[in-house]
Amino acid sequence: MSQQIQYFVDALNATIPLEGYLIVGAMMFAIGAWGALIRRNAVVVFMCVELMINAVNLTLVAFSDYLPNAGGAGASYAVLVITVAAAEVAVGLAIVLAVFRTRRTVNVDEANLMKW
Amino acid sequence: MTIAFAFLAGMTLVSALGVVISRNVVHSALFMSGSFLGVAGFFVMLNAPALAAFQVLIYVGAVTVVILFGIMFTQRPQARRFRTIVNRQFWAGFLVAIGVGAFLSYVFSVQNWGNVRPGNGPQSVAVFARNLLGVTQGTGIFSLLFEVASVLLLVAVVAAIVISRRRPSEQIDQGVEE
Repeated sequence: MSQQIQYFVDALNATIPLEGYLIVGAMMFAIGAWGALIRRNAVVVFMCVELMINAVNLTLVAFSDYLPNAGGAGASYAVLVITVAAAEVAVGLAIVLAVFRTRRTVNVDEANLMKW
Repeated sequence: MTIAFAFLAGMTLVSALGVVISRNVVHSALFMSGSFLGVAGFFVMLNAPALAAFQVLIYVGAVTVVILFGIMFTQRPQARRFRTIVNRQFWAGFLVAIGVGAFLSYVFSVQNWGNVRPGNGPQSVAVFARNLLGVTQGTGIFSLLFEVASVLLLVAVVAAIVISRRRPSEQIDQGVEE
């Protein structure tokens, strides 16, 4: 019985394999892609794009911590990705505000002036 | 480790699903900050505490507040039925997303990563900063990328102001007394 308890405690203390982080990142990316595809509100589409960016960040940092030859470069790339995402949110919300001011809506499927 | 991983994975993925299927846009924004907090916890588990601090400051702090401002400016009272918040590609998009997730998970799983162990990342802030500034041998590209990122931020600030500025000739928004 105590052996089983010891086994259980060892299983709880075991290090997470690299695939665990990668699969969480992949699922988060898929959920973000789903939201970016189906939602009509442009602000929510931005949120889903942020989710996808965060999933990629998680994957980068997992690689930089696990792979011995990476040299920790993934964490530095993650900082750059955070920078680009912040810039994207600022410009994107400015565009959403401009669209709202001219069309009185932020639904992405109603801004179809250039649709063929 | 297992308990922390399961908790953070559940928090991240459930909050991400909440962003997609929540009917209220403000709830979506709050779910998004919960998901970002989960990712920050993952960064702590992955020996990158400085990056976790950046994540909390920039994403949970700044990006969520900016998006809440965007919601405040652009949302009108509207019907909240579930059919009205999604377009007609609900199930097609679901299939595409499941396909993408399954493909990525499969590729990550079948790849033989070798006998990798955690703990190779830049654990101290000093090493992390030398990597980011390109001082460490072999990371010289980051000195260029750092400058490019700073220029990008400047351009983004100017562009955000120019795009969202109300021009003098435009009519004043309804409901705003100036």
